[in-house]
Amino acid sequence: MILPTCIPKLDTLLSGGVPGGRSLLYLIQPGIDGSVFGLQTAVKNIENGMQGVFVVSTTHPSKVQEYVEGFGWDFDVIKDRLNIIDLHSGLTKAPSDAKHVVDDPEDLESIDATMTKAIDDSTGALLFFESLSTIMDLCGEERSLEFVHRWLKQARLNDCVVIANFTAWPYAEDTVARIRDKIFNAVVRVGGVGERVMFGQYYGVLRADWLDSQNERTLLFKVSRPGGVKVYIPKLLVTGPFNAGKSTFVHALSNASVSVDRLGTTVALDFGHIDHKEFSADIFGTPGQERFDPILKLLGGQALGVFLVVDSTDPGGFSRAKQMLESTKTYDLPFVVVANKQDRADAISVDEIRKQMTIPEEIPIIPVAAKEGEGVYLAFETLVDSIIQV
Amino acid sequence: MYKKEQLDTCLSMLKRCGVIDASAIVTTEGLLIASDIFKGTDPAVFAAMSATMMGAAETALIELRKGHVNRFIVETSTGRLIAIGAGSTAVLVVLTGPEAPLGTVLLEMGRSASRIQEIL
Repeated sequence: MILPTCIPKLDTLLSGGVPGGRSLLYLIQPGIDGSVFGLQTAVKNIENGMQGVFVVSTTHPSKVQEYVEGFGWDFDVIKDRLNIIDLHSGLTKAPSDAKHVVDDPEDLESIDATMTKAIDDSTGALLFFESLSTIMDLCGEERSLEFVHRWLKQARLNDCVVIANFTAWPYAEDTVARIRDKIFNAVVRVGGVGERVMFGQYYGVLRADWLDSQNERTLLFKVSRPGGVKVYIPKLLVTGPFNAGKSTFVHALSNASVSVDRLGTTVALDFGHIDHKEFSADIFGTPGQERFDPILKLLGGQALGVFLVVDSTDPGGFSRAKQMLESTKTYDLPFVVVANKQDRADAISVDEIRKQMTIPEEIPIIPVAAKEGEGVYLAFETLVDSIIQV
Repeated sequence: MYKKEQLDTCLSMLKRCGVIDASAIVTTEGLLIASDIFKGTDPAVFAAMSATMMGAAETALIELRKGHVNRFIVETSTGRLIAIGAGSTAVLVVLTGPEAPLGTVLLEMGRSASRIQEIL
């Protein structure tokens, strides 16, 4: 049995997911919106029919439903297969209707008694620690880790998969090293600006003992509500000649967009945001007229991929289109050609466009009618696939 | 401390001077690094637009051979948008009310900008 993490592209990096009996830790940099990672893995697998045990330590168990529903996931689907070990209400003395309540969450022995019983009762289940760091804060770093180690061993014997969130607060270096390098079978790092990326937040596999070779690929992400973790592409550029339909394309693709327009022509940029399937991207559209060329380089900076929009009814603009790839300094990036206005009777075919523009076979040309919204998502998926390549 | 926290601290320090309503650090290419903006506004849009304004100003001034842009200020009836460079890769942008003392704002922004440059 292999348990998918249900985090975009992470299963590919982990060769399918987490094998039965193994454990996966999400190592989260403080200040990063990372607690959703463990939750997403847990909830999605319980939705698919697994039994789940949540060790809830940062909030009252009655808040779990609200938290899950905040991401647009249906709590009713999972609640019958979900048991909660409550490590929180014992602190506040609030009443709790969780299946297992630990009376004194500051006492590892009493947590241990409950945990041992719960794991024994849940063969083959998914065990999710909502926040290991909270347990360590309450019970002491070193001793907590001893117990965590023991619980993981017991979980393995019961063929449970363990998923845990851990926020790397400034603990003793030994503690962090131990949890990062030893205790768990696999560690996925969830980090932010200044580590491996200049802006935004990323995740990537730090290690996984079932992999022969490790893919060091990191992916930027955004957390959508609803939706959960999405792979984030901070800049996709839309460029092409005047009147090719770039703004229409940006608007057709976007969930929300803004344009700087004068009399229907873009003068500085179009900006749009799209959440589609497991991806989230910001889209920058350039003006088409040659007098704006001086700012094209600026708009093309830091882009990860390009939509080159051409008007299929106007072959006269094709050479200008290719020239714009030059002006935006993006010719070495992945790009797709968006053959727009394909719904018009006088549009020429994709093959003809390829011939006239001398576009190599490996570059996709997507037939699109941006006004009708036809083909725009296909163009998006095609470009994103060639950028991510995981 | 992680850089993200340092940058966030930088922006909240800036707010503490009392005359700045919102602020953001963006890359010169228009991507958001950090922001402290009121709810209901999309920081990514704010980032993209203000960096493009900075870039357009830069380009216009170079065309006119008037040198490098230190800052740009846009005034409306309800406030001002001010942006200054923070090193070669980032721009600091703030929004203030119409009555905010410009001198104080620019002084505070200058300090923050050099701090941001150090962090990045």
